[in-house]
Amino acid sequence: MQANKPENFYQNVKDALAQPDLKMIIRRTTDKAEAKRAEAIANFPGFENARKQGQKVKDHTIKYMDHYLAEFEKNALAQGTIIHWASTAEEASKIVLDICRQHEAKKVTRSKSMLGEEIGLSHALDNSGIERVETDLAEHIIQLAGDPPSHIVWPAMHRSREDVIKLFREYHKDPTYSEEIIDLVRSARRDLRTKFLTADIGISGSNFLLADSGSSCTVTNEGNAELTITPPKVHIVTAGIEKLVPSMAHAVPLLRLLTRSATGGEITQYITFHNGPKRQNDADGPEECHIVLVDNGRTKMLADGMEEMLRCIRCGACMNHCVVYKHIGGHAYGSVYPGPMGSVLTPHLNSLEVANKQTHACTLNGRCEEVCPVNIPLPKLLRSLRAQSWDKKYEPLTNRFVVKAFAALAKRPKLFQLVSSCGVIFMRLCSRQGWIKSMPLAGGWTRNRDLIEPESKTFMQQYKAMKKAKSDGA
Amino acid sequence: MNKQKSEMSRANIFSAIKAAAPTTSMDVNTIQNEALEILGESEFARPALLAEDAAEALTLRIEAGLVIGTSCEKIASLDQLPDSVNQFLAKYALPAELKVQEIERLKALNWQGITTEVDIKNDNTVGLCWAEYGIAETGTFVVHSGPDMPILLNFLPLYLLAVIPKSKILPYMDDYALIAGEIARKGGTPRNMCLISGVSGTTDIEGVLIQGAHGPEVLHIVIIEDQ
Ligand code: SF4
Repeated sequence: MQANKPENFYQNVKDALAQPDLKMIIRRTTDKAEAKRAEAIANFPGFENARKQGQKVKDHTIKYMDHYLAEFEKNALAQGTIIHWASTAEEASKIVLDICRQHEAKKVTRSKSMLGEEIGLSHALDNSGIERVETDLAEHIIQLAGDPPSHIVWPAMHRSREDVIKLFREYHKDPTYSEEIIDLVRSARRDLRTKFLTADIGISGSNFLLADSGSSCTVTNEGNAELTITPPKVHIVTAGIEKLVPSMAHAVPLLRLLTRSATGGEITQYITFHNGPKRQNDADGPEECHIVLVDNGRTKMLADGMEEMLRCIRCGACMNHCVVYKHIGGHAYGSVYPGPMGSVLTPHLNSLEVANKQTHACTLNGRCEEVCPVNIPLPKLLRSLRAQSWDKKYEPLTNRFVVKAFAALAKRPKLFQLVSSCGVIFMRLCSRQGWIKSMPLAGGWTRNRDLIEPESKTFMQQYKAMKKAKSDGA
Repeated sequence: MNKQKSEMSRANIFSAIKAAAPTTSMDVNTIQNEALEILGESEFARPALLAEDAAEALTLRIEAGLVIGTSCEKIASLDQLPDSVNQFLAKYALPAELKVQEIERLKALNWQGITTEVDIKNDNTVGLCWAEYGIAETGTFVVHSGPDMPILLNFLPLYLLAVIPKSKILPYMDDYALIAGEIARKGGTPRNMCLISGVSGTTDIEGVLIQGAHGPEVLHIVIIEDQ
C-alpha cells in the first residue's frame, strides 16, 4: 500500500470512508483498548495524582532541556556511547546509514520506533540495499504487506488474520498452514529467530533517555527490543530530544501512565535500560553503541509555544478515543503520527501549509485531552494551529468565503434569523421520513451518513414562542 | 565531515532551546531540588500493593494471574531448587535439560542428573537465571548484564525460571530506581538493566493475546526464603 500524503487529506478521507470494513476493523482494536484503559484506571485510585506527577516530570525536563541534554550527553559519553546530533530527519537517517555503511552491514534488525518512521529510516535503509528486518510482530506484518503504520501502538491493526495468513504463507521460509493465531505467531517466531541472531546491526528507538546515567530505555511486550539489540556488534538508538527525563526514578511515574493508557495493562513485560556498549568481560551485548539525538521540529515547537506537545509519551490513547480517527483510521492522516496528537505534530514535522486540513478534522469534543496521561491540551493546540493556518491564508478560498459570510451574518441578527429560517425550510424540503439522504452543498456529510431532519422552527423562533407562552400564562 | 555536521546540529539545537526557553540559565542546585520535589509525590501516585510484605505482595500478584504467563513458588532454601526445576520440567513434559546461568551458587547445586548446559540458540529450550531484584508492584524480576549474566538467557528460551532471593524483593519500581540511581552515581551501571514482568506476548493479530512471541511462553518465579 502506497503511503498517503498529508496534503491529500480530503481525498484520503474519502477513500477511507469508502472502505466497507475499515471502521469495523479499527473499532475492534480501539474499543477494546478504550475499555481496558478504563478498567486499568478504575483499579488505580492514584491515577490522577500520577498524571499530575507525570506532567510535572515532563514540564520540568522541557523547562531545563539544555541542562538535561548536556548532562545526558556527558553521562552517555562516559558509558562509551557515541553521540550524534541531527537537526533534521534527513540528517538523522543519513547518520544511521553512514554507520551501517562503515560497518559494511548487510542485515539490520529494527525494533519498533515511531521516531525511526518519522525520520524515514525504513525507506532510507531499503533504498540503500541493506536488508531491513522489522522485529515487532506488527511491524513485521506491515513490512511484508508494504504498508505504512496505521496506529502508533498497533501499527498493523488495519490488517486482518486472513491478510496475515496470506502474507506469512508467501514470505516465511517455513510457514504454517494452520489458520490459528498461535500458529501464525509461531511461524513469525521461527522466521525472525535466525534473523535476530545473524544481524550485523540492531536499531532501536527509546521511550526514555535518562540524563543522570546516559541510558536509553526500550519498552515492549514482545521482548523483541532486547533480541534486536543484544546479538549484533553494533546498536544504534534514534531518539527525539524530548525523550529526556532526569533519572530512572522520574521515568517510573511515566511508565505507570504509559502502559495503562496504551493497552490497559499495568506494565509492559519488558522494560530495559541500555547503557553504552558491552563491558569488557560481558557475556553478550554489542561492542559499539550509538545514540542519534534528533530535533526535527522539536525546538521549533518550543519556540512556537507548543511545548506542551513535547510531553507526549506516544501512548496512543488520544487516537483510541477519537471519533474522527475511529471513522477514518490512521492512513488517512498521511503522516506517521495519526489522530489528535498527529494533527498537532505533523504541521511541525512537515509544515502547516501541507498538514493544516488535519487540524480541522476534530469535533473539539475534548475526549483526547480527557484521556491524555500527561494532560496535553490537544483541542487548545489544534485551535491555535487553526488560527495560524487562517492567518497564513492556508485555508481554501471557499472555506474562507463561507467563514467570512457566516461572520457577516452572525453580526446581523435579523438577517441571520431570516437566513436560518429559510435554511430550515429548505432542509425540510430535502428530507424524507425524518432523514435527509442528500442535499445540495451537503455532499460531504450525506455521502456517508444521513442527516437528521431539523425541527420546523429555528432555535430563536422556538425560544421566542416559549417566552411568549410563559408571559401569556403569567 | 559527519562529525562537523553533528557538532553544528548540536550547536543549533542548544541555541534554539536557549532562544525559546530563556529560563534555563538557573543553577544546578535549583534544578536538582525541583527534580527531587517531583519525586516526593510518588507516594500518592502509585497503586496499592496486594500485601504489606513485598515478597507476599509479589506472590499474590502472580497467583492472581496479573502477571502474564507467570507462576511462582517459594522454597525455604537454595538446595531445594533442583527439586523445583524437576517438577517444572515434569509439569511441561520437558526433557531433563536446561541452561543454568553460570554462577557458582547455581552450578554448585546437586542437579540430580539434569543437564545444565544447552544451546539456547535452539528454540524450545529452558533457561534458569538468578535475578538481582524483584518488584512487588509489577510482579517483576530484574537482571543486570555482566560476565555471568548473558541477557539472551532471558529472551531466547521458550521456558524460563527466575530465582529471586526473598530479601531482594522491593515494594515499588521507585525503590529499584533509587538503587539504579545510586549505581549510576558510583559509575557502575551495567550495560543492561532489564525489568521483566511476565512472558513475551503479542496482541498484534486481531487483538488476541499470544504468549511466546519471540521469547518465553512460560515463566516460573522461585522465591528463596532464606536468601
Ligand atoms: S498526546 Fe497524550 S494521549 Fe496522545 S499519544 Fe501523546 S501522551 Fe498519549
